[in-house]
Amino acid sequence: MLKVENLYAGYGGAEVLNGVNLEVKQGTVVALIGANGAGKTTTMRAVSGMIKPSAGKVTLEGTEVEGYSASRIARLGLSHSPEGRKVFGPLTVEDNLLLGAYRQLPRFFGFKAKAQVELEKVYALFPRLKERRLQHAGTLSGGEQQMLAIGRALMAQPKVMLLDEPSMGLAPVIVQEVFATIRRLKEAGITLLLVEQFAKSALEVADYAYVMERGRIAVEGSPAELQKDERVLSAYLG
Amino acid sequence: MKRFLLVRGAELLALLVLAAIPLFIKNPFALGLLTLLAIYGILLIGLDVTVGYLGQVNLGQAGFLGIGAYTAGLLVANCNAGLFTSLGAAFLICLVLGALLALPALRLEGPQFALATLSFGALAVTVLNEWEDLTLGAQGLSIDRPTLFGHPLDAAWFYWLCVVLLALVWLGMKNLLSSQWGRAFEALRDSPIATDAMGVGTYRHKVIAFAFGSALGGLAGGLYAFNFQYLQPQSFTYELMVILLLGVVLGGRKNLWGAVVGAAFIVLLPNLLSNPMLFRAFSLLGFAIAAFAVIRTRSLRFQTLAPVIAMGMLVVGSFTVQHTEDWRKAIFALMLFSVVVGLPEGLMGYAGKVLSKLFRVPAAPLPEASNLDDVVPMQQVNDNVLLELRDLKRHFGGVKAVDGVNLKLTSGSVHGLLGPNGSGKSTAVNVISGLYAPTSGQMMLDGKELPYGSLYRVAGAGVARTFQNLQLFSELSAIHNVMVALRDTYKTPWPLVLFGFARKEEHKAKADALALLKLVGLEDQARTKAKDLTYGAQRFLEIARALARKPRLLILDEPAAGLAHPDAHHLVEIVKRVHGRGISIVLIEHHMDVVSALCSTVTVLDGGQVIAEGTPDEVKRHPKVVAAYLGAAA
Repeated sequence: MLKVENLYAGYGGAEVLNGVNLEVKQGTVVALIGANGAGKTTTMRAVSGMIKPSAGKVTLEGTEVEGYSASRIARLGLSHSPEGRKVFGPLTVEDNLLLGAYRQLPRFFGFKAKAQVELEKVYALFPRLKERRLQHAGTLSGGEQQMLAIGRALMAQPKVMLLDEPSMGLAPVIVQEVFATIRRLKEAGITLLLVEQFAKSALEVADYAYVMERGRIAVEGSPAELQKDERVLSAYLG
Repeated sequence: MKRFLLVRGAELLALLVLAAIPLFIKNPFALGLLTLLAIYGILLIGLDVTVGYLGQVNLGQAGFLGIGAYTAGLLVANCNAGLFTSLGAAFLICLVLGALLALPALRLEGPQFALATLSFGALAVTVLNEWEDLTLGAQGLSIDRPTLFGHPLDAAWFYWLCVVLLALVWLGMKNLLSSQWGRAFEALRDSPIATDAMGVGTYRHKVIAFAFGSALGGLAGGLYAFNFQYLQPQSFTYELMVILLLGVVLGGRKNLWGAVVGAAFIVLLPNLLSNPMLFRAFSLLGFAIAAFAVIRTRSLRFQTLAPVIAMGMLVVGSFTVQHTEDWRKAIFALMLFSVVVGLPEGLMGYAGKVLSKLFRVPAAPLPEASNLDDVVPMQQVNDNVLLELRDLKRHFGGVKAVDGVNLKLTSGSVHGLLGPNGSGKSTAVNVISGLYAPTSGQMMLDGKELPYGSLYRVAGAGVARTFQNLQLFSELSAIHNVMVALRDTYKTPWPLVLFGFARKEEHKAKADALALLKLVGLEDQARTKAKDLTYGAQRFLEIARALARKPRLLILDEPAAGLAHPDAHHLVEIVKRVHGRGISIVLIEHHMDVVSALCSTVTVLDGGQVIAEGTPDEVKRHPKVVAAYLGAAA
């Protein structure tokens, strides 16, 4: 579904990624773990077109998309739920969700009716969002904002979803909730690439995992294999 | 040494060339242009303070030029004042007026600030025009150029005077910018909140900077008056203001060379427009440069293509229009547009980039790090209560974010603050640190009431904090981030800073900052810009910066958020080291292992109220905490 080959990218001349290779198969959850500064977020940003890769190939469902703009890649079916949630604070929960489906909806009239099916799907997944649908997104708690960010990404009916640090800055009880959500997404058959600091929990939900070090993939394998790897165990699973 | 030769050498060479010109060129017209260049150089350096360093569009500088010109002119014409008396008076009056304008205007941002300064400019011209008893209004004021200690100032001598003053202003600005002031300007553009929280006082710095820039406008005004020896209020209207702005933007903001290049452009502009041949050559040159940029970068993006179109229009215009003077506003518009789009950093900003690539100037070596004991002295720890909150409340409309919190923090302890998202932890520390004023309740630090609702004053009381959403000065290097916050280091008053009296304390500041970077393990990245540091390093830098305040109480707001395992471990080490120096710490954190490793006491909030307090182990077993916060699995 999503394939990244020999990807190089960076900011202002300093390369952060030094040839990343990874693959996300349809219907699987793939975890990307590693220390801060290893290049996990940069990989996500380069894949979704937020920054331009300097070399390498990104293939989404057989189409080479590297160098495309972020909005064009999104239109091809990849949605990115960025680090730090970034919901539209002054808008209501429902408007945030509708914006997620922006490209499928008519511009002026009848967009609500058209989006109803998708909205209901998201509300079924996150009943809490339905309760708060008319509240301003900025007044939601951190966990609810994270749900909203995921829900907004789902509204675009993506083929692949990138989820960056969904548990960041959340209370333990909410972190558990976020991981429960990821499990529900997995059951719903969503293809997911997940960056996460809680490596242990990430490995529990993932089908396959990559460990990044200094801008490249250092180790890869199924969660069971990684949990046996001495080095990974001591460095990341602590 | 190489740095000294290249940077200072270029400046000295330029000064020598400027100073030598009257010896070879006797043409009074050319000399007049050069004098004007020096005057506008001073004026634009002043304007660049607000437009460049404060990042605000200032449309009042033409007004200050006019006020300075009339002040000096009237003093000479009516009171027979001397040269330096009248120039000094022009400087001082504009300094005071600038401060008076800045006090209200700098509470505003962006377009409102631009409008406020625009109104001031309009007001200044109207007053000069209508106060006929004093200024003779539109009739104009004739002035005799005063003498320099009895020596009559002919064109060459007056030119030399202007060049000397330009050099002094240049030197003063350089001293100012390489001191704490320059860093503070950069810092408050990146994060005004953090600047206040580091005790720098955003507003005070902005007001003084604006007043100083205006005073330079006044000084330039005085020279302007003696240059033309005839003044008319109509010379200082909007049109001049637009040209001045064009000069700064074209030359390059935040750049002394840029101000002088911009001044040269302004001086040459009228001649350019009156000579069709010259104007044609100029527009062809502009077109060629824009086209060259397209060919070189091989890109057809808007930024490279738009200047070609604008310059193309200028070329067509230069060959078809008869009276270019009548079209000057359209011509300014096309030039300004091309520069803003094509060279956002201005001519000298771009040239500086190219030159620094050609000549790699090594950065000045860093001094030896100070002894940490001198930077953050060990603090005496006793069992007294350091921070006490009594029934603290903060409501936002109907939302009771903090609703009656009582808390006692023992001196020398690490006190954890836990709670679900939205339970009021961040609001509580925002109230303590002065970002918000409390709705009711009391906050005592060591028996004294903390100031309410002022980050700056709370910082002064000995409380330092980090921010959950990083508030680093992202364009500054790591070491400069720390230097901005250093407490009790910068004592030289700013007029003396202009004369370079701050170098010694600068050196000490660098050494002290390096010691703090060492404490958090960032000494090797001292010169890296904060925005280029890894996420973990940015978190550590926030702590080093807060420590530069030499705080008694340090508030860490989710320092481990987003930190992976190795970095989180390093963080625990850093906090332990800080704690070991006797600094009391309030720690907000969600990682329970970090909390358990560090905290002696933990307070848990939910819904703005305290639901549990005790040691980490006690709290972990508390049923309310498990239900509201930890969840079943933990």
